[in-house]
Amino acid sequence: MALDRLLNVARKEFSDHITSRRFVIILVLFLVISAIGMHTGIGYYNDMLESYNQQLQYMQELEVDSPYVNWMPEKPSIMLIFNSMMSYMTTLGGILAIAIGFDLVSKEKETRSLKTLLSHPLYRDEIINGKALGGVGALGFAMVLALAISLAMLLLFSIVPTLEEFAAILIFGAVSLGFLLAYFSIALMMSTVARESGNALIYTLVIFFAVSSLLPLLGTVAADVLVGDPPEPPEVGLIPTIVGRSVSATAGGGYFVSSASQSVVQVGSEDQVWREYEEELRNYIDKRMLISDLTTLISPQMNYYTIAMAVTNPQITATIDALYNSGMAPEETPGLAEALGRVWMNIAALIVFPSVFFAVTYVKFMRMDIR
Amino acid sequence: MIQAENLTKVYNGKAVVDGLDLEVDEGDIFGFLGPNGAGKSTTILMLTGMIEPTSGRCLVDGIEVAKDPLRVKEIIGYLPEDVGFYGNMTAEQNLDYFARFYGMDSRERKERIAELLELVHLDGVTQKAGEYSRGMKQRLGLAQALINDPKVLFLDEPTANLDPEGVREYRKLVEHLADEGKTIFVSSHILSEVREVCRTVGLLAKGKLVAQGTLEEVARALAPSDGDAVRIIVETPERLPAIEDPGILSIERNGSRAVILAMADIRDRLAESLYSQGVHIREMHLEEPDIEDVFMAAYRR
Repeated sequence: MALDRLLNVARKEFSDHITSRRFVIILVLFLVISAIGMHTGIGYYNDMLESYNQQLQYMQELEVDSPYVNWMPEKPSIMLIFNSMMSYMTTLGGILAIAIGFDLVSKEKETRSLKTLLSHPLYRDEIINGKALGGVGALGFAMVLALAISLAMLLLFSIVPTLEEFAAILIFGAVSLGFLLAYFSIALMMSTVARESGNALIYTLVIFFAVSSLLPLLGTVAADVLVGDPPEPPEVGLIPTIVGRSVSATAGGGYFVSSASQSVVQVGSEDQVWREYEEELRNYIDKRMLISDLTTLISPQMNYYTIAMAVTNPQITATIDALYNSGMAPEETPGLAEALGRVWMNIAALIVFPSVFFAVTYVKFMRMDIR
Repeated sequence: MIQAENLTKVYNGKAVVDGLDLEVDEGDIFGFLGPNGAGKSTTILMLTGMIEPTSGRCLVDGIEVAKDPLRVKEIIGYLPEDVGFYGNMTAEQNLDYFARFYGMDSRERKERIAELLELVHLDGVTQKAGEYSRGMKQRLGLAQALINDPKVLFLDEPTANLDPEGVREYRKLVEHLADEGKTIFVSSHILSEVREVCRTVGLLAKGKLVAQGTLEEVARALAPSDGDAVRIIVETPERLPAIEDPGILSIERNGSRAVILAMADIRDRLAESLYSQGVHIREMHLEEPDIEDVFMAAYRR
């Protein structure tokens, strides 16, 4: 494979994307809505900052022997502002990625330009890799624009990110790009498999809705079917003990909501029945969590939310993780690296997902009948 | 310049091209004839390195196509049937995109593109290729096939979308290119088109090469055989008298006209016999097979 030939294809594809009306319209819509989301996020951040300043002032007024004297309020991170971008990314961003990829190959089949192209000295893999590279470049361009506008808005509102926050913004951009690639790869594969662009779009949208809406629902149903109902508590004397924890995360309307809860039961200290119940309940929760985690790993949306949450709000991720493992909320907010370390499986899944679809696309394109 | 040895392509268990042996000399204008679905386009795709043969091999300028398709593509030009382009780009942009694959520098590309657009009368056209008529696309297709100044040119149904003026210009261009020493391989199902421009032809039917040579050679080879017998047409102003000759196999009479099937060319003896009987001869000739009919019959076989 010669780099110059691959880059020639990629250059043309990139140029086609960024000058296409379809791309420009969706991109502008995406940027405008992101900017509005950012504006809302900045308002929320400023409220949090004001609350923080009030708490600081309150702390300074506390007497030395007060029991709260050593407690320090936590300064809000500007990454909270980016929370609002997450849901726009999964809707408009996903649509942008699909719009770029769904007719990349099928249109060439329809207009018969693929045959013309293949008559010139280049290999098929150079064409498909060039197309993928051009698409990734266009999505990267969209992402850079979105982040640039976000940064500009931060500076406009006199919010200057620290070095770590700046790194987090870049990582957020990279993770968002990874999410867009997941849908781009599905669209590209469908474009290669389907004979017509219309069919490719329909197939892609079916998968889009399946993994974004159906899969989480199926996860819950699968958990109900496979794990069954929770064990019934015995009807005897009780002592309160924490035995299980459950976590959940949902997103919608520009906000990501996480919750962590502990299952508290009353156990009779002398009664063995309660210990057995405790064990059964723990197993029940563990199984549900396992099924939930597996479902999450297949869904690019859920992986994206999980990773983006770790970047924009590491405290929540750490709390969920700690509650699940130790039952105790962490005292300190983890660093960016630590937060990302906690979601490594989701990061791996977000990389593997598009890789699988790209691989299928590659094989299919190499074997395509061009008569 | 072009060779195919036992070239075979099988799709879904069916041989679309079946053991094709073919040879085209350098500088020839070769017409590849055959009805739709005979396997012409599949053969061209194999010769141009776009699909691999199931078995057999083909060579262009001594290079085995399946082993080194890129080297072959560098020396050939190909005009596909119903050629397609990038509709969002102008003719110049389309050609520039293709020209980059040949490592041509910017100045070289610009000069070559201007030259080709003038050649196919698309210079000064600012429309995007998506707005082109089929004829314009066909002319642009010819330009893209010539972008690398190829040694060998493959043209698949080249006049399919051209108007009469376009066809006339295409014929002139093909002659001109052949005079430059290029080998031209024209695939078509239109005999009249091939007859106009091609020096030699090959007839493909059901994936097999039925005959190859000059048009006359092929027609003769394909004509229905009467052994060594010949058909002589005789027409006189008067009613034909009885004709006796040991060489005559049969006579079909129709007033003053007769079709005589003879063991050999006995026209001299027939003329003498009729003259001796006082009959004037208006016309007497050997019946040559009609090329159109011969090819049509071969298509149907």
